[in-house]
Amino acid sequence: MDFEALWLTLRLAVGTTAILLVIALPLAWWIAAGHGAGRAFVQSIVALPLVLPPTVLGFYLLIAMGPLTAPGRLLMRVFGHPLAFSFGGLLVGSILYSLPFAVQPLVAGFQAVDRGFIEAAAGLGANPAKVFATVVLPMARASLLTSAVLTFTHTVGEFGVVLMLGGNIPGATRTLSISLYDLVQDGNYAAANRTALVLIGFATMALLTIYLLPSMRKTDGRQADIVR
Amino acid sequence: MSDRLASSNKPDSLSRRSPEQLLTVSIKHQVGAISLDASFALTKPWTVLFGPSGSGKTTVLRAIAGFVRPDSGSIVRGESVLVDRASGVFVPPHLRPVRTTAQTARLFPNMTVHSNVIYGVGRSARPENAGTTVDEIKIVDEIMSLFRIQQLTDRRPHQLSGGERQRVSVARAVVSAITCQGAGQGDGAALLLLDEPFSGLDYAMRDQLVDGLRECLMRWKTPVLSVTHDVGEAFQLGAEVIRIAEGKIVQQGPVVDVLGEERLRLMSQLRVGPS
Repeated sequence: MDFEALWLTLRLAVGTTAILLVIALPLAWWIAAGHGAGRAFVQSIVALPLVLPPTVLGFYLLIAMGPLTAPGRLLMRVFGHPLAFSFGGLLVGSILYSLPFAVQPLVAGFQAVDRGFIEAAAGLGANPAKVFATVVLPMARASLLTSAVLTFTHTVGEFGVVLMLGGNIPGATRTLSISLYDLVQDGNYAAANRTALVLIGFATMALLTIYLLPSMRKTDGRQADIVR
Repeated sequence: MSDRLASSNKPDSLSRRSPEQLLTVSIKHQVGAISLDASFALTKPWTVLFGPSGSGKTTVLRAIAGFVRPDSGSIVRGESVLVDRASGVFVPPHLRPVRTTAQTARLFPNMTVHSNVIYGVGRSARPENAGTTVDEIKIVDEIMSLFRIQQLTDRRPHQLSGGERQRVSVARAVVSAITCQGAGQGDGAALLLLDEPFSGLDYAMRDQLVDGLRECLMRWKTPVLSVTHDVGEAFQLGAEVIRIAEGKIVQQGPVVDVLGEERLRLMSQLRVGPS
């Protein structure tokens, strides 16, 4: 069992989830409230990692972060080293790759909040920021949980982007899924099995959280009849 | 049509607004099959917008609140222009000196009754006049006891009956309107918009509530525009009545003038009924 890889994976997943929630909340709110061609365009871009092979995203990020392009050279000057094949580069890649998993549950949650509640708050003098913080977000908190858990789990399990962008550097870019691949290549099936079981544990716990928590908090179920 | 209406119906009524006009509305708006074409001025502390279902009452209220952008026309509150399509002015709802409650009580499910009632406290359009905390607590207590919801303080919306929700919803708007104006200064006070505020209440409760609410709002110099299709309610409020039908204002004046015949007709129907 590669504990260095486990620790790295956890850091990557926590970092990605924290940064993505900050990005995804306003983005999802804008998509949920917006309309027209601009919204369709942004929604398509956000959903792109769902349908693209991870290697495609990884390849272009590798080029963009490397010394061959102007942005890559700029990043090198800012960070003092190439972002590719580093933890920072992995973080950027994970954020882009997991973007749809953070944004889409939130968009669905925000769209499900009855417009009447938003108008009720505005009719009492609340500005849009207050309406969002005190009415929309608490009413969509189940979606917030789903978004965080899906982002975390998805980052733990990612493989293609990490391999393209980070390679396989112990302590810097070797995550659990890469470690598993390595162990199988080496023919060490017993260690591979332990690593795979840890990944299965993560996924199962995440799904249990999503499905179990809302049913444990009874108030969520009763919110539906408050609307009328 | 009364002379009063004729004078306020002129398109140039905005420029010749008299100082006692609390609100001047002159809007056109197409909503579904109804083409709304409403021009009127509020001058009395409590005005009732009266009309049958589907006559455009709620749309008028929503336009004043800022939830509907009228196709053309303008809405002016005191000295401030809230909407003027010609010059492109549109003040968003939360910046208007207007407080609203919808016909359906939308209590925030994640808050207690008390948190709901104080939600709009002190969100003043004129921050320099925001009342002190002591005043606000006093007002909240007074309104909660007036609406007989003080025993529900810690309940959640899902634990309330329909009538209780309705009372909390109206109380919440009343508290917000009163505290918006600050410590009782008259001019620029928040206009309170109530869409069928007593519709879910039984007559005994309504009787108790109407007089107390009217007295309270007068004392805090908070003007009201409420919507009803109930003749009895309009008379009980003893208010100025604007009658609307199929999107057009048909009459404005004291309740006896506008709805007197309506009341006689209803009373004769009661007398003629099976014995």
